Amino acid sequence: MKLSSFRYLVGQGFDNVWKNRVMAFASFCVLLVSLLLVGISVLFYVNINAIIGGIEDKNEVIIYLLDDTSDERIGEIGETLKAMNNVSSVTLYTREEAFADLKANMSDYTEVFDSLGDDNPLPDAFRIRVADISRMSETLKATEQIAGVDYVSSPDSFVELLTETRRIITIVASAIIIALLIVSMVIISNTTRASVFSRRREISIMQSVGATKGFIRFPFFIEGMITGFLAGCFATLLTWFSYDSLVNLLGRFDVLSTIGFGNVIPYSKIGTFVTLAYVIAGSLIGAIGSVLSTRVHLKYRAANM
Amino acid sequence: MVELKNVSVTYESTGVEALSDVSLKVEDGEFAFVIGRSGSGKSTLIKLLMKELDANKGEVYVNGYDLIKLKKRKVPEFRRTIGVVFQDYRLIENMTVYENIAFVLRVIDAPRKQIRKRVPYVMSLVGLQDKADCYPSELSGGEQQRCALARALVNDPALLIADEPTGNVDPELAYELVELLQGINACGTTILMVTHAHEMVRHFGGRIINISEGEVVFDEVIGGAEVEAQ
Ligand SMILES: Nc1ncnc2c1ncn2[C@@H]1O[C@H](COP(=O)(O)OP(=O)(O)OP(=O)(O)O)[C@@H](O)[C@H]1O
Ligand SMILES: [Mg+2]
Repeated sequence: MKLSSFRYLVGQGFDNVWKNRVMAFASFCVLLVSLLLVGISVLFYVNINAIIGGIEDKNEVIIYLLDDTSDERIGEIGETLKAMNNVSSVTLYTREEAFADLKANMSDYTEVFDSLGDDNPLPDAFRIRVADISRMSETLKATEQIAGVDYVSSPDSFVELLTETRRIITIVASAIIIALLIVSMVIISNTTRASVFSRRREISIMQSVGATKGFIRFPFFIEGMITGFLAGCFATLLTWFSYDSLVNLLGRFDVLSTIGFGNVIPYSKIGTFVTLAYVIAGSLIGAIGSVLSTRVHLKYRAANM
Repeated sequence: MVELKNVSVTYESTGVEALSDVSLKVEDGEFAFVIGRSGSGKSTLIKLLMKELDANKGEVYVNGYDLIKLKKRKVPEFRRTIGVVFQDYRLIENMTVYENIAFVLRVIDAPRKQIRKRVPYVMSLVGLQDKADCYPSELSGGEQQRCALARALVNDPALLIADEPTGNVDPELAYELVELLQGINACGTTILMVTHAHEMVRHFGGRIINISEGEVVFDEVIGGAEVEAQ
């Protein structure tokens, strides 16, 4: 194909968007809605994952030691804990620190502590974090075996709940996203088919003067790509705006951040990716949908007119 | 060159046999009128010659292509060797007169310079030079018909098939257009022209093919102005 023909066909693609603006607008809307449906579901999923991940990161196990453990033994226990493979961090939490924290946290009840005087009822402890939360209970059992350990407190059942929640969310989200993808494709192919159907005559005339399939399809390709590209841009803007507003709104409630909403991913971090994904997916789906839909009419014989 | 050997065409949808056992040969450089009553099969013949329809039986050769054996992907190449004026014009509604005509040249990757010269030239041949930027819906029936004729001519085809190219213009213009076609024919283009204007056929004379109920019932060369009605 010559450059001049190429330019002509690309120009035709652009012209056709305007000439067939009603249908182009319909495809645009359908693409926009489809992109938003899928995009927003993915963003929801990614964020819920991040939130759960954040909660998981806070997993902290406190290992209480027996009352009369010597400082030397405490040091040894610390080393043993550090050597365990699923333990990511180990901090000593002395009974003095614990008592001070307790007093600070419960300043309303100073009388109670005053009555205790310097009699500190709390034991020494280690705070540890586990790396792989799904192997939590296994690791905890191992720490309980260490001599000098009294008992281990952990958010064991909570952890199980989180892991389970995450699993279910992954399954449900994948199912929803796949369903939305399929629905979108069906709607898109129907819209483009309708748009091409209305141009069946034009296509068959082009064929009757000797235009090849490629020559006829190319403008459709460009046309679909432009529509898809615009839909991608709009989807980006809409998502950006609503995402930012939502994040701002959530940020106003301190409560939410304590239960992990502080881990919501800021738009600036994913913006580029979201834009690229929308624009590329939009352009490709638009172009391919538009070309595929011409297949029905591109039989070499004209429709009987 | 056009050659049909014992060709039959039946429309599947209705079961109508529009052409039955037609044999016909038009040599290179000939000018032939095709006449016949409405529904006799003239347009069917044209669709057959451009491979818009396939014969159920027989052999069809056009411009050296065996249309029965012609591969689908070769159809565009074949169609570029012929120019067709359709009975219903078949202009692309959302293209101007100029674009409709130029499209044929764009399809064959013609240089832009050639397009810019050739399109205005054929428009002036059919008297449409002032209508370049009009859309088909802004033209009269006769103007649309002339646009279709210009489109068929623009590519300088070896064979021109015209289905009633003068059906919608006044008799004077019709005569002028046939004279134009005769001039083109004199330059070597083979022409097959369907018409209902028996008066005109009698005036010009030449080879006349009469189709009746799907059969060729008359095929002879007659002198101008002295021809008797078939
Ligand atoms: N697409 C079609 N499907 C079914 N039958 C058809 C079709 N087109 C034409 N026919 C039938 O085939 C026969 C020949 O039709 P054709 O169009 O060739 O006539 P024609 O000679 O061109 O007539 P006119 O002078 O009115 O244009 C007619 O009986 C017509 O009803
Ligand atoms: Mg006809």
